[in-house]
Amino acid sequence: MRKSLVIVAAFLLLAVSAFATGGQEAAKAPKVLKCAFIGGANYEELYKEIPKWEAKTGMKVEIVYKGDGFQIDKKLKTDFAAGLVDYDVCWDHSSFFTQYIKAGGIVPLDEYFSAEDLKDFIPKILDSGKRDGKLWIMPRHFDISCLHYRTDLFQQYGLKVPGTWDEFKATALKVQPQLPAGVYATEFAGKEEALTGRFYEVSSCEGAQYFDKKWKPGFNAPGGVKAATMFRDLYKAGAMPPGMTGFVWEDVAKNWVAGNIVMYTEWYGWYSYFQDPSASKAAGLFDIARQPKGDAGVYGGWAGQHSFSITKASKQKKTAADFIKFITSAESQSVEANLGFLVTRSAVWDKIIADAKASGKALDAKRLELAQYQAANDFRTPPLVAEWLPSSDIVYPIVQAIILGDKAPQAGLDEAAAKVEAMMKERGYYK
Amino acid sequence: MQANVIQPVRRRRLSSKVLEERRLPVLLLLPAAALMAFVVVFPMLYSLYLSFTNFTLVSQSSIRFVGLHNYQTLFRDPVFLAALWRTVLYITITVNLELVLGLLIANAMSHVMRGQGILRTILMMPMMFAPILVGFQFKWIFNDQVGLLNNLLFEVFRRPVIIPWLIHKPLGFITIVVAEIWMSTPFMVIIFLAGILSISPDIMDASEVDGATEWQKFFHVTLPSLSPFMYIALAVRSLDVAKAYDLVSIMTGGGPAHRTELIWTYVHRLAFTSQNFALGASMSYITVLIAVAFTLYLFQQLIKARKVRGL
Repeated sequence: MRKSLVIVAAFLLLAVSAFATGGQEAAKAPKVLKCAFIGGANYEELYKEIPKWEAKTGMKVEIVYKGDGFQIDKKLKTDFAAGLVDYDVCWDHSSFFTQYIKAGGIVPLDEYFSAEDLKDFIPKILDSGKRDGKLWIMPRHFDISCLHYRTDLFQQYGLKVPGTWDEFKATALKVQPQLPAGVYATEFAGKEEALTGRFYEVSSCEGAQYFDKKWKPGFNAPGGVKAATMFRDLYKAGAMPPGMTGFVWEDVAKNWVAGNIVMYTEWYGWYSYFQDPSASKAAGLFDIARQPKGDAGVYGGWAGQHSFSITKASKQKKTAADFIKFITSAESQSVEANLGFLVTRSAVWDKIIADAKASGKALDAKRLELAQYQAANDFRTPPLVAEWLPSSDIVYPIVQAIILGDKAPQAGLDEAAAKVEAMMKERGYYK
Repeated sequence: MQANVIQPVRRRRLSSKVLEERRLPVLLLLPAAALMAFVVVFPMLYSLYLSFTNFTLVSQSSIRFVGLHNYQTLFRDPVFLAALWRTVLYITITVNLELVLGLLIANAMSHVMRGQGILRTILMMPMMFAPILVGFQFKWIFNDQVGLLNNLLFEVFRRPVIIPWLIHKPLGFITIVVAEIWMSTPFMVIIFLAGILSISPDIMDASEVDGATEWQKFFHVTLPSLSPFMYIALAVRSLDVAKAYDLVSIMTGGGPAHRTELIWTYVHRLAFTSQNFALGASMSYITVLIAVAFTLYLFQQLIKARKVRGL
């Protein structure tokens, strides 16, 4: 009996001492802020700044997940649905955040960020992260489309820079018969959201509304039909590569650097790659211009911003907000600006434009000034609704079918609109 | 009388021992069974339940029972019906071509006396690659701009040949068939080679004495002896191809315009990008039911074939 008591007492002593030691270790260990971020070489340069915040606050930042945009979107959606969120700060994007609001995964940021905190951010970009009057995402960097064209080929074939989508189409159709085999007048990314987004952009310029105020699809209006017809006619005339319906961003960029494209609409973010003579045959041979406009007098300007949000599951939201303030500070944004990203703080813009002008490279400065102008005037995200991507999944295969000649533009878009309307109805937007 | 009293007691003791012996393996298997139930049975039942709801990834809070609505929606969806039909066609073409190629290659290899081991190793190499890698490899081979095939055609015809292999209506489907066959024919070869090597040399010798030609030996001796192996290989490969996703997703993503859409690329699109998890679950269950029916049929045939061989 006594022996048993001794054993139990020894066990209890061990357990208590282990608990106490554990407690001491826990007290010594820094508090951890967990994050789920977008990964990839250029995106991760910013994360090298994190130790500065750790040193300042005594906190430890743990990046529990890194993946490309579509991977992390899938992770966030499934984590929010399953209630498995173990991170405080997550990557976000203007095209995606409405889904996370609907899933109840993120919280509004208004109570954590004062007007003073926000005043340096470009207003149109900040607005693109608002829904129902609340701010949900803090902008990291953005991108917007602009026209890229080969100055040498434009000169060789006597072409004028198109100012409208009609001129864009006419220019492409005019030059294509004169081009050698394997070189194309233009191209577009031809699948997934990359295609729907471009269709949305051009059809908006031509006067069609993707969704009306009651969230009913309107892209089958004449403006949408005109946009789809342009894609189809360019493809039919051989003015775009035959494989374009399989292209995403990397593919169109590769064709451009291979010197196979005369003009196309592209993001600013590829600029350093395009100007690298070891990788790009177009280096030093191209210029950029504002996106063409359509019949509605609206200029193209499909845009998006990468950003940060605070998860609803976070138990340290103020600390998470403090971290976001650091990671979107002027100092942090300067790191990304030097990599060629278009950052979201006006103060950083003033500095990088001044630096570019001083460098003597005319296009470097023009690029930044044009991007700044477009950000202030043309910045247009896809519709801020959680059903943007599901609707895109309905629309893009049908736009592909139109491009490939499987469906007529009006009939195809009517079919897509009916399907999108049925989906929106099923999800409770109207009866 | 005494014996009558004692006997039931002894019997009771014996049966409790037997019972204990029987209980032990059950007890030992219980943790594994519980784990299996947790990771397999529960998710399956839960996804079955979800298939009768309106569950989407972004509105899980307003989940509602909708009965057979999702199943009705699917059977009215021309994209789903086309994907289902295309998947059946994909399985039929790839598995049958793999079967024929596998038989021919295995038969040829069985006649190789020296270096058969090295040949087998080389032949198995495509099986060693992950389907994603095979997808990227064939995506490059069939790329219309920089692909190997169009470049080869350029070398042959000395002028640019730009065939959009992955885009064109029948060609897109053919490319994913070719990739699947390249990746999985070795499996058939290995199974059939093992079958051929298991055929008694006496039977072969007897047929030779009877004056059978090589083709006659193949059709009248080798082929009938291989039938149980064929049914097993067919069952395994059919179920495998029915799950095709990675390779097709990388090569064509099911597109363009759903031209190469198979069941699982469509399930992924509906469940994750379109957020409609319930519809994805319904589609998965339809596919699983078809797969189970098909497997049962094949196993019935296998049992018949084994009976014919007296196994």
